[in-house]
Amino acid sequence: MPPRLQPPPASGTGRPRAAVLPLALLLSLALQGVAAAPAGAGEPEDSLRRRDPELPRGLLEQAARAALHFVNFRAGSPSSLRVLADVLEGRARVNPKKECQVDLVFTTDCYNPEEGEERLGKCSARVFFRNQKPRPAINVTCTRLIEKNKRQQEDYLLYKHMKQLKTPLDVVSIPDSHGHIDPSLRPIWDLAFLGGSYVMWEKTTQFLHYYMAQLSSVNQWKTNDDAIDFDYTVLLHEFSTQEIIPCRIHLVWYPGKPLKVKYHCQELQTPEEASGTEEGSAVAPTELNNF
Amino acid sequence: MKLLLGTLYLLGILVSEELGYDGSLAQHRREVVEETVSQRRGLDAYSYTRYHPMEEIYQWMIQISEKYAEVVTQHFLGMTYETRPMYYLKISQPSNNPKKIIWMDCGIHAREWIAPAFCQWFVKEILQNYKDDSRIKKLLRNLDFYVLPVLNIDGYIYTWTTDRLWRKSRSSHNNGTCFGTDLNRNFNVSWCSIGASRNCQDITFCGTGPVSEPETKAVSSFIESKKDNIVCFLTMHSFGQLILTPYGYTKNKSSNHEELIQVGQKAANALKEKHGTNYRVGSSADILYATSGSSRDWARDIGIPFSYTFELRDNGTYGFVLPEAQIQATCEESMAAMLSVLDDVYEKYWGVDSAGKAASSAVVLGLLFSFMSLL
Repeated sequence: MPPRLQPPPASGTGRPRAAVLPLALLLSLALQGVAAAPAGAGEPEDSLRRRDPELPRGLLEQAARAALHFVNFRAGSPSSLRVLADVLEGRARVNPKKECQVDLVFTTDCYNPEEGEERLGKCSARVFFRNQKPRPAINVTCTRLIEKNKRQQEDYLLYKHMKQLKTPLDVVSIPDSHGHIDPSLRPIWDLAFLGGSYVMWEKTTQFLHYYMAQLSSVNQWKTNDDAIDFDYTVLLHEFSTQEIIPCRIHLVWYPGKPLKVKYHCQELQTPEEASGTEEGSAVAPTELNNF
Repeated sequence: MKLLLGTLYLLGILVSEELGYDGSLAQHRREVVEETVSQRRGLDAYSYTRYHPMEEIYQWMIQISEKYAEVVTQHFLGMTYETRPMYYLKISQPSNNPKKIIWMDCGIHAREWIAPAFCQWFVKEILQNYKDDSRIKKLLRNLDFYVLPVLNIDGYIYTWTTDRLWRKSRSSHNNGTCFGTDLNRNFNVSWCSIGASRNCQDITFCGTGPVSEPETKAVSSFIESKKDNIVCFLTMHSFGQLILTPYGYTKNKSSNHEELIQVGQKAANALKEKHGTNYRVGSSADILYATSGSSRDWARDIGIPFSYTFELRDNGTYGFVLPEAQIQATCEESMAAMLSVLDDVYEKYWGVDSAGKAASSAVVLGLLFSFMSLL
């Protein structure tokens, strides 16, 4: 297939007449690396692939997802979970060991749409995929949308609500088959998603990403010692294999404190099972051993 | 006098029967009327914004084809692995016009519940509006719609009874230790070459051979038998918000790729206008992942020009378990996309331009013949 000429996005469209200087500029920009325009137009993925056939399709989105899982986990706040809105720009490089470094800027949206305002946040990240090994290294900063205090307040309200819930051990699945989540059970889902974010961050590679399909059982829900001790199983939907992966997750959460989480997933494809433990040490050294 | 009295007496009996004073005849008639009314009421009460188990969908198909008998007929396609009947609905406006076929199937993957919900919505929209809506009336002039609301019936039922996230069929393998074939990897197009698995335990198991599954066979044989008249093959899935063109088994593009993209993009634009939802358009290998044995690729390769996979809402937030609260919006926007595609297909074969061309070439031929007859 004959290569199509890709106009670099930043410079806009149109055929310049007196083109020498802009053309030289464009050429130098093109030579500096692989750049990409907003995803969703379909084109940037083409240009990434055409420049380097090693790069998997949708790499920018992969990186954004991994970064976002990490952001959610690190924030440790079930009341302010974020989802991916759009990838604004990004570039990627593959080294001889097939490891991928992706630099990107993306926007985020509220996970819970009922929270009213659609407040778009913005993050810039560097994601390093280790050729299908788990735990992509993530360096990410996001615009602060809610003040830390306000966020802690919201979390504390959620926490109080959770403490009042009858032990939900008879929960069959959330959401149910018809996609319903009882509003009173929504905090459980959000907390489960928070724990799931840790798992999904670790498991995301340049080829595989995850969605949390269902909370399939609650094994333990303890709220006596001033924290929520939550042991549960989620079903992760693995893309692009389409497989459903059950993961047993055990987390301990208290508003404002880093999340403690352990997990164990049943892998169907590979013989080794994925598991991990985290004590929130990724957040800040001073906040270790709070429990 | 006696005759008059006799006649009056008989009339009296008839009248009283009508009024229901007598038992049997009027009672029976009333029961028949009531049953028809309740069936119709059943259809009136049928909610297109809820998910329905297979039994209700079977019933709905019967009721729909009875209520709209002038344009709808129900047809048997084949049997599933667990010996359940597969039915499709044919919507066809009787006329002398030459007709081409639009095929739509939903639910080839069991867990994608929004797809069968959309098929039912689509049928409902066409039938409720074909008399008054000029756009739909026009389409029905030359197009017949064949709609298969649930392709993978066994799998669909399994998602209701046992495992909401089941994807494959329910065929048994390896002495009953392993179940299900991914029906969308089972078609005879570059079968099992890429993006599919030979291992029955895997969720993309391609089957024991191309078209090994009864469901695939049923659809394949039927489409094959009608392929000269099918202009559009649409297969509905979720999730992902994508309009996919061929191919999945190769990065090569079909001969009409540009056109497919254009039509697809127009449909995505029409969709977005409804509720702002973003859909991406592209070949499966380009924007999704490599797959082989898909129904869409197979349909294109046997010559059906417009072949699309639609991946409906959402983008992963709920994924397969899309809340019922989103059914209406999803169906409305998807309907807009569908009508856009159908309009384009219609224009291509019976549009003003093509009619004009046909007319002018007829005129030329006519002149030619009359000229030649003068010689």
